[in-house]
Amino acid sequence: MNGPLPSIRSRLGGALLLWSLLGSTAIAVAVTLAARHEVDELLDETLGSAAVALAALLPAVTDAPAVAPPPLAAVGAPADGPGFAWQLVADDGRLLLRSAAAPDRPWRATPQAGFAVVGTWRVLGVTLGAPDPAGGGASAGAGRTLYVAQTLVERSEARAEVTLAALLGTFAVALLGLLALRGAVRSELEPLQTWSARLATSEPENAASLAPPTRAELVPMHRALSALTLRLEQRVARERAWSAHAAHALRTPLAGIDAQLAVAGREAPPELRPRLERARAAAARLRSVVDALIGLFRSEGELQRGRHELAALVQRLPVAGLEVEVDPDDSDGTIEADADLLSAALANLLDNATRHGARRVRLRRLGPHRLRIDDDGPGVDPARREAMQRALDEQELDAPHEQARTGLGLMLADRVARAHGGRVVLPVVTAGFAVDLQLAPERADAI
Amino acid sequence: MRLLLLEDDEILGEGLRDWLRAEGHVVDWCRTLGATEAQRGEPHDALVVDWNLPDGSGLDWLRARRRRGDTTPAVIITARDRLDERVLGLDSGGDDYLVKPFAPEELAARLRAVTRRAAAGSASRLRWGDLEIDLAAHAATVGGRAVELTAREWAVLEALVLRAGRVVGKPDLEKLVLGFEAELASNAIEVHVSALRRKLGRALIETVRGLGYRVPAP
Repeated sequence: MNGPLPSIRSRLGGALLLWSLLGSTAIAVAVTLAARHEVDELLDETLGSAAVALAALLPAVTDAPAVAPPPLAAVGAPADGPGFAWQLVADDGRLLLRSAAAPDRPWRATPQAGFAVVGTWRVLGVTLGAPDPAGGGASAGAGRTLYVAQTLVERSEARAEVTLAALLGTFAVALLGLLALRGAVRSELEPLQTWSARLATSEPENAASLAPPTRAELVPMHRALSALTLRLEQRVARERAWSAHAAHALRTPLAGIDAQLAVAGREAPPELRPRLERARAAAARLRSVVDALIGLFRSEGELQRGRHELAALVQRLPVAGLEVEVDPDDSDGTIEADADLLSAALANLLDNATRHGARRVRLRRLGPHRLRIDDDGPGVDPARREAMQRALDEQELDAPHEQARTGLGLMLADRVARAHGGRVVLPVVTAGFAVDLQLAPERADAI
Repeated sequence: MRLLLLEDDEILGEGLRDWLRAEGHVVDWCRTLGATEAQRGEPHDALVVDWNLPDGSGLDWLRARRRRGDTTPAVIITARDRLDERVLGLDSGGDDYLVKPFAPEELAARLRAVTRRAAAGSASRLRWGDLEIDLAAHAATVGGRAVELTAREWAVLEALVLRAGRVVGKPDLEKLVLGFEAELASNAIEVHVSALRRKLGRALIETVRGLGYRVPAP
């Protein structure tokens, strides 16, 4: 895989952020448009109401020119505010009366009823004497037009306030929603992580040991993994059975080869005997390889633990050409392990010692589950010992570098130790070669 | 000793037969359980039985023999090496259990051990006065002096010593020494017994008139 894979959480988070922004923007725009429309409507209604109220207050106003209109208080007209003004226009277009904030020229050249935008004003024209916009009867001063107006700035301010409030509200809700959704995504993804961690500790060849799913969405994945594990389990079982069968099938022909060579060695002329002896030795080596292979397959099977006399166990092992000493000072002398597997491991370690030039091997019990094997052979240099230990730790049966190759015997011993929950450690020694065979998890044999 | 070897593998069976013959034993080699029918009633000193045979289980065959009261020592040879399998093999009537592959020397030694145990305890050296017989070394001494015996003479002596205290009929002795298919002059056994008496002393082998020969218990 190149580079880190995209994360579901960050992708979902990004999508949520984008859609939150888009959604909140759309909502804000919709709310703003609606609010502006409502604000305009409301302000227009206010203008209409103001026009009706004002029309009722102006019956006494004469038809005189209004270049300098009388004070409003004198005619009883309402005072205008900073954003509100009004004009009273005669039917010929002359300005009769106006508020202080209103321009001194009529808003419209010819009197016109209805709403219009004139300069910076929103203007409502009401023809007096005509039915008023609110539906009332004919007003006084018929034929004249009353304009009531509001500055556009006032409207803009109102709209801006509404828009700002709508936007702030929407974005605040969107932000809170986004945070809540991100939290929900995180908490919903957590069971996936927990499940993955539990899967990692499940046995690869045992479908029943798969951790049960904790979310409905994980059920199909669990089903697929179970099916895969089952297939793997069946395949491993088939291969293991076949390998074990093949190894067993080799035993009879090997015995036959040895028997034939033994007979031939007895019947052959003296000059041929050494050659036949070498052939027999090769057959014996092949025999121990087959035993190691069988042990290797078996180490992955079921253990039959028991307490066994170490000395008795060693006595049954083939140790031709090797002096094997079991610690005579050990008063207990028993070791807890699967006898067959331990025998296979020891036989291979002793065979290794012989092949590498050792003459003497010492076995010491370091606890009920731990055995130390020291030989007086030439040993290996520190770099090779470290490489071999690494190969054992990483279960690298076929290490790419010659330096790290442990050989079948040592790997078998390690498999046997691992089958017991332990491992093989190659301690640093000043002379010879040593193997620490731990047949239980480390804490079980603390000494 | 006369041995019944039950092994279906040609190479192994032939190798074991030849090795054991070279050790001075008479070997009847059967490749199937069916072939052992022809050996029924034949006296054998020991059985070498393979577990898996083409027409059945060697263990079942051995179990059936034990049920009939047969106590002939038996060594089971098999590729099965698990603890439970070894236990089953021994519980089925095997006196010893040898896992393949093995050296023929080991099989021969185990056969000597099981026949010794069956005959006169676990000692391989037996004494009658100043006569000592070492079954493992195939050696006999009188007063500490080694006595040279031919292969046939040793076979007769071993057959009688392994049945010490019991009368061995002449026909049985012929079969034990010469095997199922052997043809021999009718007085061959008398000739070998006479030679043994000459070399080892007259007291060792008694003639039980009309029945056969007997070596007293050591």
